[in-house]
Amino acid sequence: MFSRQKGWIPGLLSRPKNPHSLEHLKYLYSLLMKNQTITENNRSLLVETLRSISEILIWGDQNDSSVFDFFLEKNMLSFFLKYLQQRAGRYICVQLLQTLNILFENIKNETSLYYLLSNNHINSIIVHKFDFSDEEVMAYYISFLKTLSLKLNKHTIHFFYNEHTNDFALYTEAIKFFNHSESMVRIAVRTITLNVFKVEDKAMLRYIRDRTAAPYFSNLVWFIGNHILNVDLCVRHDADHQSRNRLADLVAEHLDHLHYLNDILCINIDTLNEVLTDQFLNRLLIPLYVYCLTMRKKHNGRQGDKKHISSVVALYLLSQVFLIISYAPLVRQLAEIIFQGDISVQQQEASNDSPQTKLREFVAPDESLEATLESNRGQHPFHQGELEEPVTTGNSTFYMRTQSMTEQTEVHERVPTPPTTEADLPTQNSTDEEKLYGSQRTSTGTSIEQKQTTFSLENRAYLEAIFNALECSENDYEALFALCLLYAMGHNDGIHQGLMDTVMMPTEKSETKDHYNVALVERLIKIITLASQSGNKVRLSTLELTIKLLKQLVYMSGKSYLQDRHLASIENARECCTQLLRNFYKSEEMFLDMFEDEYREMKNRPLNVEYLTMDASILLPPTGTPLTGIAFSKRLPCGEVERARRAIRVFFLVRDLSLTLLQETESQLPLTKEDSCIKVSDILDLNNSDLIACTVVTKESRKMERRFLVIDSIQLILVEPDTKRLGWGVVRFAGFLQDVEVTGDKDDSRSLHITIHKPPSSQHARPLPLLSGRFVFDDHIRCMAAKQRLTKGRLKARQQKMMMIERLLDIPNDGGQRSSTPSGRNRPYPGRSHPIRSVSTPSQQSQETTPISTPTPRSQQVDPIQSVPTKSQGQETNNESTDSVEIAEEAFAYQTFNQHTGTNASSRHTPSPVDNSPFQEIQMEDLSKRKKKHSKKMPNVRLHQMTSSSHSRSHSHSPKRDEGLSSNRGRSYSMVEESKRERSSTPKGRGHSNSQPIPEGKRSRPSSGSSSDECHKIRTRSKESQSPKTLRPAEEPALTLFSQDSESMATSIDSLKLVPPAESLRTPSDTSSTGTSNDGQNSAVENQDDKNSESSFKDSKPNFAFKSPSAADVEISKARVESVARAKSSSATDQLTKLAQIVQEHFSDDKQTETGLVDQNTDM
Amino acid sequence: MSYAYLFKYIIIGDTGVGKSCLLLQFTDKRFQPVHDLTIGVEFGARMITIDGKQIKLQIWDTAGQESFRSITRSYYRGAAGALLVYDITRRDTFNHLTTWLEDARQHSNSNMVIMLIGNKSDLEARRDVKKEEGEAFAREHGLIFMETSAKTAANVEEAFINTAKEIYQKIQDGVFDINNELHEIEIDCMLFSDCFVNEHNCMIVIV
Repeated sequence: MFSRQKGWIPGLLSRPKNPHSLEHLKYLYSLLMKNQTITENNRSLLVETLRSISEILIWGDQNDSSVFDFFLEKNMLSFFLKYLQQRAGRYICVQLLQTLNILFENIKNETSLYYLLSNNHINSIIVHKFDFSDEEVMAYYISFLKTLSLKLNKHTIHFFYNEHTNDFALYTEAIKFFNHSESMVRIAVRTITLNVFKVEDKAMLRYIRDRTAAPYFSNLVWFIGNHILNVDLCVRHDADHQSRNRLADLVAEHLDHLHYLNDILCINIDTLNEVLTDQFLNRLLIPLYVYCLTMRKKHNGRQGDKKHISSVVALYLLSQVFLIISYAPLVRQLAEIIFQGDISVQQQEASNDSPQTKLREFVAPDESLEATLESNRGQHPFHQGELEEPVTTGNSTFYMRTQSMTEQTEVHERVPTPPTTEADLPTQNSTDEEKLYGSQRTSTGTSIEQKQTTFSLENRAYLEAIFNALECSENDYEALFALCLLYAMGHNDGIHQGLMDTVMMPTEKSETKDHYNVALVERLIKIITLASQSGNKVRLSTLELTIKLLKQLVYMSGKSYLQDRHLASIENARECCTQLLRNFYKSEEMFLDMFEDEYREMKNRPLNVEYLTMDASILLPPTGTPLTGIAFSKRLPCGEVERARRAIRVFFLVRDLSLTLLQETESQLPLTKEDSCIKVSDILDLNNSDLIACTVVTKESRKMERRFLVIDSIQLILVEPDTKRLGWGVVRFAGFLQDVEVTGDKDDSRSLHITIHKPPSSQHARPLPLLSGRFVFDDHIRCMAAKQRLTKGRLKARQQKMMMIERLLDIPNDGGQRSSTPSGRNRPYPGRSHPIRSVSTPSQQSQETTPISTPTPRSQQVDPIQSVPTKSQGQETNNESTDSVEIAEEAFAYQTFNQHTGTNASSRHTPSPVDNSPFQEIQMEDLSKRKKKHSKKMPNVRLHQMTSSSHSRSHSHSPKRDEGLSSNRGRSYSMVEESKRERSSTPKGRGHSNSQPIPEGKRSRPSSGSSSDECHKIRTRSKESQSPKTLRPAEEPALTLFSQDSESMATSIDSLKLVPPAESLRTPSDTSSTGTSNDGQNSAVENQDDKNSESSFKDSKPNFAFKSPSAADVEISKARVESVARAKSSSATDQLTKLAQIVQEHFSDDKQTETGLVDQNTDM
Repeated sequence: MSYAYLFKYIIIGDTGVGKSCLLLQFTDKRFQPVHDLTIGVEFGARMITIDGKQIKLQIWDTAGQESFRSITRSYYRGAAGALLVYDITRRDTFNHLTTWLEDARQHSNSNMVIMLIGNKSDLEARRDVKKEEGEAFAREHGLIFMETSAKTAANVEEAFINTAKEIYQKIQDGVFDINNELHEIEIDCMLFSDCFVNEHNCMIVIV
């Protein structure tokens, strides 16, 4: 009461203590009253007053309605306007705008909002001429307009749009800034216009269309077009990728424009859309984009001084249009012109001086938007006012005129088109007609040949240009965009299938794909073929997109419509890229990582055409250097590693295409079958499996957890005992062994630092380790055991995968090679492989060359039967058994075997011919066995087919693979030593033992101990020996943990980093023939049967043999090697045996194999 | 007022996470946080000093424009920094971060600095998202992370300034070409000196 009274005496009012109260607002009001004129002295006071007002008003809106009443009662907004008009500088302006921003942003009470808007003060503020050169004023002003536009709805629109005076300040003031230099301002303008268009108010929309649409859109289109010219300029002058950032910004901005136009079209105001479509098509798309499609360097004289862009940019931009905009009338007209448009028309147009040609030109609007709007302001009629009819009549004359023009041009455009399209007018009504027409086309009984002859590129200049762009023998620069464009058109919802059918391009909308455009498909196949050759210039994105497009054309819901001859070409390409990849195949750790990375990449990030076209870098000529920062798939490979990566990816892509077309499912990829892996919170039977107790201290949380470490064949698992069942455990963590990194702790002999890596989850994410921590074991021995096992497990897991890759690539090699790989990596053996290579190469070559058939007969095989062999081919020459297509495998095994026996005789003349006979024997025996099987299951006819195709697969081998083969031989020979010692190998026993590797682990494949020559045997036998129990006396736990260890012992013992055995073992292989090695391997595998610590001890002996100088000698008898080894090892391992025994006590007794292993490891 | 650099920020995140309040809280110290007043603004600017240089921060809130694709995508390009905000009392706002981030990465300049902000840290009692979760998300995606409260102004200053420091550092390293504004395109592009980062994050400058 007291303060209220004071309130009436300005100047005497004291500042209330509570800034959020009605009293405070009254006090502020008194200040405004007192300072109605802005001076230097009161300016800061006024700024603070205006700021405080906004604060109190919002507080009032949220807490006390009387505050707002006072504000309205005193008409305080009028003060705002008065201050503005005094032009007292930016501080007051900025503060006023901020206050208004805050008011309209925060006021929730609708009535308050209406009151604020009701007396036209806001419109007066909108039209006030601020100093827009001040960026802060500009920013606050445009934010203010944007805030207001967000408040627009059917009710509030009337506060802004005055039907009687035809005033819509909010809109007209905003669009004046549509080409403002500051991007944020332009964005705000677009937001405002969209918010305005969104309001469903007929009178307002009519005003927009009649008074502003044509000027605004023509100016906008001109602005966009000029932007395009800059893009083009940037592309032309930047062949060396110097201003990619700028180009990226330009392209992104252009995409913003397209999206903006699309957003307008999507609001679906028909009358507005017609004006926009007309302007956009006739002032930009057709004259600048489409006409430039035919812009080749050869004949651009025709274009003269006209503004133009290069055909590459035109293709790129058009594909963006079709990707982004799907407004049917627009895209349909555009597509028709592209499909059927003839250059002659364009020329005719150019020569004609008809009004239409003026429209179809990329020219500046008659006057600037601001000028138009100014002249248009208030009651003044539109500049073409004489044409304008009263607003109430609906269509204005201006609009009518443009419409008639469009119609004329449409007709004009249509004249030269083939009669097929005569029926479909690009109006919405024609859709049904066209559909009918399309169905007639397909349903009539004409043959495919006839249909296909109906399509010709004659009189289709633009389409022809697009097709020609698909040529990428030189480079795939243009081809990529042509593909994008065709893909985008096929996926555009606004283009109906009838239109696509006129150029024989089936899409996902088609009911059948019987008729496809042969010319196009052949061009696509050409790209695929080219991509699968070495040294080509086809980028991965291009290939992937080609495949996508091809699938769209010929593949639908599990059925391929591809003609046989085309399918044959695809198969041929698959052949080529497999071969190409074989050349890159290396038994290196990196290859496996690359292989899996690429597969993951392909699966996780399939090509997204829209994202692809968003990347401006593809606008520049393809480059090979990674220094540009361009993603790998969008540039050419650089260096050997990238070429290998590329070959891998091409292989995946083409393989996938081929399988899809043949309607087969992928059975060999990915290498890791996720669903067969152990997952967290699985419950495992751990009886009989080997556990190492440890405490895990994670790096991040420093949490200490007591766990049992279990090392599976491919996974590292941490379990916690299950409280409910004795001997069972709950999985708390599972990671892949192949990604394990183990390092010892310098200070603590019981600790290991273990990191399990994982591939990054997304492109931008950092690769974080799955688990990184310190594992503390009970004692040093256990710690060492764990370390050895992890190291070994990692190698083992990787070897297995490498073999799977070999099988996939038809590399006729075996797992033995794998185990020698790591040591080979650590230490190359200079010159070592040469003698071996001389042995292996001829045999291999003869194996390759004997098959007579070349890829050509393939075309005959394009039938359902063929699907069987083609898939199995991947496995044929390899050793392992897989669960796929048994029949084919067997048949092929038989075949390959024959081949072997035939060729081996000639090739196997080297070192010791004596050994040939046992080898032959084995082969014979196996052959008979297989024959039996084969005759049971296989018709002979089929067999022949398959053999021929498989021959063509295993065609050429690279020297690298020979190298691998040789090392492998050497390694596998080591088995001979052991097995000879171990037991006498009878054919019968061999057969039994050979199957041994298979039962080890459900998901594992027998990975080692078998040579290439032996592979077939194992494969066939694996079927007999599917049930492991018959072969292994030891019971397997429910989830076969550790089951692989026995196997790993046989193979990876030699491969441990610390161990040099592979080398030493290889020595004898130099001396002996492959025949013996083969023989020996059989027994080596047997050897695994009865493993115990002793035998594993023996296994280790050859390792020590390495140290003996005699190992280097060539012609040593096996016996001698053995004896030397024995002598060495016994002395060296004397003391370690004790350790082994100690360790043995700690681990489960029935797993002697493993303990043996540990012994060995501790030795080293 | 002169300045050495102008950094444009955008604030993104679900509605109701307090974006505009953060904005006002940072840009205008005059608005004191009060318990019974929620006040926000869509635009704000403020001068800061980093390394002795005057830097102007312009911050644009993107709220209310989600229905138009062209608008959301445009904002990202123009910005040097983005504050990605979630509400620690609402798990769903945290769950949507991936979508926001994907959008941002897709449309923004690759050098845009993104700061993850868990807002409303004053409402500890109603907390639904642990600080560790925010930290982990930020670490995985290479973001700077901070929990703030627009109500108590806790950490608000730091959030914006740390982002600015990061951008500034990028400019110093030559990674970020802040003045690459589109209206300068009339100038012959060959005259431009341009910087870019290769895959290994080595900076290469071509003049």
